[in-house]
Amino acid sequence: MTAAEISFRNDVMAVLSKSGCNLGTCHGNARGKGGFQISLRGQDPTADFAVLTHELYGRRSNSNDPDQSLLLLKPSMQMAHEGGKRFSVDSYEYRLLREWIASGMPNDQSDARQLVQLKVTPDEVFLNDKTTQTSIRWQQQITAIAIFSDGSSRDVTPLAVYEVSQPIAEVSHDGMVTGHTAGEVTVIVRYLQQQVAVRIAFVPEQPNFVWSAPEPANFVDELVFSKLRKINVNPSAVCDDATFIRRVTLDLLGLPPTADEAKRFVSDASTGKRSALIDSLLERPEFADWWAMKWSDLLRVEEKTLDRKGVENFHGWLRDAFATHKPLDQLVREVVAGRGSTYEVPPANFYRALRTPFERSEAVGQLFLGVRLQCSKCHNHPFDRWTQDDYYSWGSLFSRVDYKIIENRRRDSNDSHEFDGEQIVYLKESGEAKDPRIDKTRAAKFLGDAKNLEPQQDPLTGLAKWLTDPHNDRFGQMLANRTWQQVMGRGIVDPIDDFRATNPPSNPALLKALANHLVFGTSDGKPSSAQHDKGFNLRSLLRVILNSRTYQLSSNINESNRDDETNFSHAFVRRHSAEQLLDATSQALGVPLDFAGYPSGRRAAQLPGVPSNRDRNNSQNDADRFLKLFGKPPRLQSCDCERSDETTLGQTFQLVSGSLINRMLTTKGNSLESLATSGKTSSEIVTELYWMAITRSPGQDELSATVQFLEKSKDRRQAIEDIAWGLFNSNEFLLRR
Amino acid sequence: MKNIMWNGSGLIPRRKALQIGGTGMFGLTLPRLMRAAERTEAKPGRAKSVIFLYQFGGPSHLDTFDPKPIAPAGVRSHYGVIDTSAPGIQICDQLPKTAQVMNDVTLIRTVHHTMKNHNPAAYYALTGHAPPLDDIRLRDSQDLFPAYGSVVDQLAPNINGMPTFVAFPHVMRDGEITPGQHASFLGKGHDPLLVTSDPNDRRFSLPELSLPSGLTAERLHDRREIQQLINRQVNQLEQSPAARGLDAYYEKTLGMLNSSKVRDAFNLAAEPQSVRDKYGRTTYGQSCLLARRLVESGVKFVNVYFSSNIGGRRNEGGWDTHGFDNTRMYPILSEYQLPMTDQTLPTLITDLKERGMFDDTLIVWMGEFGRTPRINDNISRDHWPQCYTALLAGGGAKRGFVYGTSDKQAAYPDKDPVQLDDLMATVFALMGIDPQTELHDKLNRPILVSAGRVVTGVMA
Repeated sequence: MTAAEISFRNDVMAVLSKSGCNLGTCHGNARGKGGFQISLRGQDPTADFAVLTHELYGRRSNSNDPDQSLLLLKPSMQMAHEGGKRFSVDSYEYRLLREWIASGMPNDQSDARQLVQLKVTPDEVFLNDKTTQTSIRWQQQITAIAIFSDGSSRDVTPLAVYEVSQPIAEVSHDGMVTGHTAGEVTVIVRYLQQQVAVRIAFVPEQPNFVWSAPEPANFVDELVFSKLRKINVNPSAVCDDATFIRRVTLDLLGLPPTADEAKRFVSDASTGKRSALIDSLLERPEFADWWAMKWSDLLRVEEKTLDRKGVENFHGWLRDAFATHKPLDQLVREVVAGRGSTYEVPPANFYRALRTPFERSEAVGQLFLGVRLQCSKCHNHPFDRWTQDDYYSWGSLFSRVDYKIIENRRRDSNDSHEFDGEQIVYLKESGEAKDPRIDKTRAAKFLGDAKNLEPQQDPLTGLAKWLTDPHNDRFGQMLANRTWQQVMGRGIVDPIDDFRATNPPSNPALLKALANHLVFGTSDGKPSSAQHDKGFNLRSLLRVILNSRTYQLSSNINESNRDDETNFSHAFVRRHSAEQLLDATSQALGVPLDFAGYPSGRRAAQLPGVPSNRDRNNSQNDADRFLKLFGKPPRLQSCDCERSDETTLGQTFQLVSGSLINRMLTTKGNSLESLATSGKTSSEIVTELYWMAITRSPGQDELSATVQFLEKSKDRRQAIEDIAWGLFNSNEFLLRR
Repeated sequence: MKNIMWNGSGLIPRRKALQIGGTGMFGLTLPRLMRAAERTEAKPGRAKSVIFLYQFGGPSHLDTFDPKPIAPAGVRSHYGVIDTSAPGIQICDQLPKTAQVMNDVTLIRTVHHTMKNHNPAAYYALTGHAPPLDDIRLRDSQDLFPAYGSVVDQLAPNINGMPTFVAFPHVMRDGEITPGQHASFLGKGHDPLLVTSDPNDRRFSLPELSLPSGLTAERLHDRREIQQLINRQVNQLEQSPAARGLDAYYEKTLGMLNSSKVRDAFNLAAEPQSVRDKYGRTTYGQSCLLARRLVESGVKFVNVYFSSNIGGRRNEGGWDTHGFDNTRMYPILSEYQLPMTDQTLPTLITDLKERGMFDDTLIVWMGEFGRTPRINDNISRDHWPQCYTALLAGGGAKRGFVYGTSDKQAAYPDKDPVQLDDLMATVFALMGIDPQTELHDKLNRPILVSAGRVVTGVMA
């Protein structure tokens, strides 16, 4: 390579990236490293050029004696370098940088060719013994071709940077992927500012593998099974009836079935009973409670900012929307375009909770487009296409939202987040959402759109229309993915609000088909003829998912699917939510719950908001504290991640020695007392307890052990409490399976 | 395909893998786990444990550790100064016992930042990270950084059966709960064991370790047996990571209820009356004693909060002595905060030394800001974050040393300014944890433990 051929932007910058110099952990850090700072992942070549050529008066790069440049001495470890050896003296990287320095560190001509596209092959590959290219078990060469503005192209395979999503494979300097362990990885291929994801599956050699060929119930199964077959994974068997009714009732209503409901279902001999159960659950009032709760989490329905009345209005409106089958696109339109009095127009509370333009733009992006824009506030998003320009143009869209505060009876006059009283959300004539780099508000744009909004256009009504347009694929996919995750426990894109090229769906065809079903009523995207399947019908989408064999698979794993976590080959075991655990205990024991400020008997899943923080010390009671301890979110963020299903020591202490559960077990007149005094035999009592708590009959050994325990006990009521405690603390009660 | 962890690929050391299983891996993605495993290689530090004595409200540096006796009236303290056991170091004359241990401590007299409100400033001091805005009621959301101790629990958790991070005897709030007291985005599993019962109460005990009436140890045992009987029935479920995580917590909970180790650590009644008296029969005094007992039993990070609120108007609460409502700072300091400080801090240092624990235990004593050099119209002082003093003792800090010099009126750093970020980096470095370690927030963004620089000048 001669000096004349070297482009600063296309070659030197590529070497800095390839060698890892500009990573956030190294010199790309906002504070640099060792006094040397360049732009994160090379996003700003102009600034980097100045740094490399001018700072330190050229000590960093020395044209007269190029080998003495710090830029070469340090990364080749001829001088101590905290970042270690990045390349050797005889490497391409060294020679290119040396040549560039020796020729006087020229900048590119203004008409130099610019990168316009990166073409990477393959985009998806399943590697097994038949397809692998070499004798090593799993190997795949990746090829990266850069397309430039002048129409020319170049093989940049050795210049591209390769990052692997999971440490089960490695990629060589020149793009050869070697898998170490069976599994799936995403390899991010990056050259300059373009990046492309390659999905690679390392399929284990299984000479005895025989595809079990389960019968698909609908298109969901066809697409899931087609992927599973490719990776030599057999799905688990379909779960039994008792497991199914417990699972589907908890998933749709947030409650387990009662003992009677469950026994009736299990003994029902009719075919199609699962489908019939799904239909009936979808029309239960608890379904609307449960879905309103999920959406209230996301829309920040909490008392301090919305006040008690606002919380009840907004939550009530959401509950109504789910009870009356409001199409999801209409729901979202009303939310994002919502304005007016927060007492008169419930969805106006959405913006009441989001007080600044960028809180609004980040929330709408995350909730309805599945993008996390926060990174691009300070620098171009490292793993996505979003630039700082995009961030601030999108933010401008929300700059005109303002509030007329009719009254504020807040108790803490120092607290700017507390509002108690009516407000009117409205659009003012003009607003500010400055991009700090230019100290100006940018022209508003829909995210990713090329053209600016017309100044006279109502930005929120425009947004509502643009967002929910049936041809805005991202919106439909986001909603479909969210709904899938709400019942399956994991998104097809996961995390569900992190859609990006570098976080591809585990099953793209499935996601597309589900989105089509949601938006058009058919999985192929052709409009449906059935009236109830037209357009953004939540129940219709749920019906398809829940009737699939995939949803109904057991959590019991088999030899081939024990490692699978992303392809839905078995049910995921996970802890139930705070509300599910508390409501299930309350239902089984027949002891109503008491939450501060609500009449006795309100279920946890029916609580409209989160009480204002300042009240906590005084008025919070055991039940409120239980919910917080088990992960009910404070609703201060527009992210599912705020809800926690972690287990903590505090939780097990609450269950073992805490006051709430023990008090519910000993409450006078609870269902344990009824059982103890019912005149039933020990065996009948134990059996009834099992159905009440974990929706099944006791096994023979369980029955004989617990009956013996009951018979030998000095205090029968206490013994019944102890058995009930064992049931409420069993895996089957606490975990969804 | 998370299973690679368990099948002996050697990527995570076995002990670590078991630990991860034990703490429940719900929701953790493998890369996240792997990163956690990669990063936990903490070098043995000088400080095995840290006792963070947090002084809520903001003590006046001019009336404690940075007196300016020759400053003009209206700036200089109403108190005099005294020489201390450290040649050349003078402090306020209301702290005579403290003066006797100054040869054991480092004073950093140039701590500075710009947060003028209690909650944001306290959050900064408790986490080492600047708050996004200086809002009087900064909201405690998971966007914000975790407490020091939660970071330690993430990166270098205890494996000795004792909790890593314990905080007491209050939850601090100024209107809202003060952020920075829990694990935030690291997850609830890293929250401190929070004790809000009063160590000065005659019947003080850990509420978690006491059973509701009617529940005996035998019944607990029966219950656990029934639970295990039911769990065995669905063997496959029992083998799931979620179930194994749960079971490990039940085991730990029952272990703590049945074993004496944790209970003993919290049993202040086991201390001789004379020791208890030395620390002072106050909530704060007994909390300092409790901190020593916990560190002695292996707890790594202890936050002791001087008060639950900023106080300042009476002889209670914190250090926020503005002179509002016709109160006055000096009488309150003389009667309340200073005597309590002079009784507790030197007692704790001496006690640690006598037990041979001082070299391994780092004490950090500081508040969210200092107070105005100029005495206000109420003969009191207001908030002053531009320059104030933090005290370090033991655990690898220099002894009898002052780092940084403030200007003539203790208004601004003159030489060697130190930011709270730097202080945090230093505490972590003393604990053997690289401050440049990456953590990941809820959006999985990489964030450094501390972007500050380690103040090597305070290290012995």
